[in-house]
Amino acid sequence: MGLPDVGLVGVIATTHIVSALGMEEAASVESELMPPIAVLHDGLPHSPIRIFHKDTVLAVLSETAIPAPVVQPLAKALVDWSKNRSVKMVISLGGLPTPERQELTLENIRIFGAASTPTALEMLKNWDVEALKRGFMVGPYALILRYAAESGLDAIALLAQSFYEYPDPEAAAVVVSRVTEMLNLKVDVSELLKKGEEIRLRARDVMRRTQQELNRMKKSQEYDLPLYV
Amino acid sequence: MVWERRRRRDIFDIIDEYFEEMERASRELFESLLGGRPSWDVSERCLEPLTNIHITPDEVIVRVDLPMVKPESIKVRALGGNVLEVSADMNRTISFNDFGITHRRGEFCGFKTKIRIPLPVDMEKMTTKFARGFLEIRLPRKRREGVRIPVE
Repeated sequence: MGLPDVGLVGVIATTHIVSALGMEEAASVESELMPPIAVLHDGLPHSPIRIFHKDTVLAVLSETAIPAPVVQPLAKALVDWSKNRSVKMVISLGGLPTPERQELTLENIRIFGAASTPTALEMLKNWDVEALKRGFMVGPYALILRYAAESGLDAIALLAQSFYEYPDPEAAAVVVSRVTEMLNLKVDVSELLKKGEEIRLRARDVMRRTQQELNRMKKSQEYDLPLYV
Repeated sequence: MVWERRRRRDIFDIIDEYFEEMERASRELFESLLGGRPSWDVSERCLEPLTNIHITPDEVIVRVDLPMVKPESIKVRALGGNVLEVSADMNRTISFNDFGITHRRGEFCGFKTKIRIPLPVDMEKMTTKFARGFLEIRLPRKRREGVRIPVE
């Protein structure tokens, strides 16, 4: 899953994977709830949320910010669709907003995980990904985990420490390296890192609109400390 | 019918409607302020950078994302009325064509933005730092002389 969230980590990571693996467009999300947008590629209109595939891997990618009121029905639809298609595991790629991100270099960006089921949690452990044990998750990935849990679907979220309000290609590279290692796929991230500044420049408008939607979702609640331990 | 409808519209419905209306209006205002104009200016040949303001008890911290810029070209100017102007030249010219857009003409060779600081600050004591593509501007907040109240 590559949906717009903090640092656009999931979108940048998934775009890189789709391109590096040469994945092909297989399906798209069509909904009256989405804003009336067509994304033009080579002169032809596409849905802003598309699903790509190669072999047994599917990738969901959104090229536009998801309006806050659409997050819930979209998460539900993606989980139901995955369940109907007998998807084995849903992996959401994203960022974990970190105020001290500016001080972190590529080498010391840490990656955390969250899981929908005890089985998925065990998988995180086997993959040596530290699980988020307490706290709040806000946004599309939070709901994907909840709906997946309800329907018994194994889902995980892989979240790299990232900027909240700036596109973060370095965090995306960390996530790409980890997820492709987990899935035994070969994807080189050197090009992604080399083009980092250019990606930051290109991603400004999507980031700006995503930040507006994150504010509406009250994403900053992820910084809140929980009441009980 | 009219009477029934009025009866059902109790104070809670009115409050709900009021808040819905407020939210809708603020969303539209937000859209008109931020989303209604492009992030580029062909006549000035510049792009608008992503900017965020963080307020701490002592400082206002402004962070500006400035990818692909020449560090030595970054300028920060304090204009009147608590407004800062940040500009920088990019290390190469970018055109609409680089974004795959062929129906617009124009190219961009720098970033430029004006930032209104929302609180009284001491512009004279501004410090700036540019690292890893981010400009950080720190402005100490102006303090009024407070009254110390003893805690018993």
